[in-house]
Amino acid sequence: MNDSNDPAHGPQRLSVLSLSAPVAMGYVPLGIVFGFLFVQAGASWWLAVLASLLVYAGAAQYMMIPMLAAGLSVGTIALATLIVNSRHVFYGLSLLDALPRRRLLRWYIVFALTDETYSVLTTIAATTSDRQKLLVALLNHCWWVLGTLIGALIGAQAQVALAGLDFVLAALFAVLTVEQWRTKKSAAPLWFALGAYALAYGVAAKHALLLSIVLSLVAGMLWQAKSAASGEVQR
Amino acid sequence: MIASGYLISVIAAMGIVTFALRALPFVAARWLQRHALVQALGQFLPLAIMTLLLVHSATGAALAHAGWPWPELLAVALVVVLQWTRRNALLSIVLGTCLYVLMRNFLV
Repeated sequence: MNDSNDPAHGPQRLSVLSLSAPVAMGYVPLGIVFGFLFVQAGASWWLAVLASLLVYAGAAQYMMIPMLAAGLSVGTIALATLIVNSRHVFYGLSLLDALPRRRLLRWYIVFALTDETYSVLTTIAATTSDRQKLLVALLNHCWWVLGTLIGALIGAQAQVALAGLDFVLAALFAVLTVEQWRTKKSAAPLWFALGAYALAYGVAAKHALLLSIVLSLVAGMLWQAKSAASGEVQR
Repeated sequence: MIASGYLISVIAAMGIVTFALRALPFVAARWLQRHALVQALGQFLPLAIMTLLLVHSATGAALAHAGWPWPELLAVALVVVLQWTRRNALLSIVLGTCLYVLMRNFLV
């Protein structure tokens, strides 16, 4: 293959790499932390790699570590994944026409549609070839798996970690909260969630998360009723 | 040691759920766009859930040591301010975690 000598391919490939590079800067270190914590929680290194290959969802994978350590049921963890990743439903809607038509390509990119890959795909031009889009998705997936492998291998060697290293999880959630907050017109969901958690913690500290999630779900539906009503008035 | 069979079932379940969520718009776009409830939950839930996960993990960290949750509050505040102003996720996470680890190992 002498694609690299072809002037039509050179700049395009460069742009794909330059788009994937910042993702690598995030995915490799975060993958390392995931692999490390996963193995420290008592799992084999290859299962950490399998999780990153097949699940490929940062926040949900971080969330699974304490849940696995607590031995929660498969159904409970699946439900938590559904809730944490429900935001992904809204990503696809803006990419419906932008993804390749060819089945295998299309479904792989859909599978690999993380927050970061989504933001890269919405940034690049619609005229970008299918191969370039696939390459971005595939490279990003590779960074995440590579980071996980490194972290899992380190975690399998060293047994004692510094106290508080798992705070990286809270830091990640804080970043995602800020990013969600930025895109919303109203901060009401944030204030509601804080109140709901305090209430749930007071009622049943052990089930505070589940209870406050249910409260938020109900509040979200009431919010819908309210916004639908105001929509009627406007019309 | 966590049992491998249990872990593989969890990984399979999480993989299927995540893929189903990412694929849903591509098989049911019309339905999603029409359905007001889905739209409203999409407006409300992501921020609420992220806030809950943040509070829950910070609370868990605070319960792991004696005394007031100052390290958690300070480190979360640092991450929020950094992310709000600099918008560099890795920088926010690394600095916030470093501050927290320092406080936990040398102050609390």
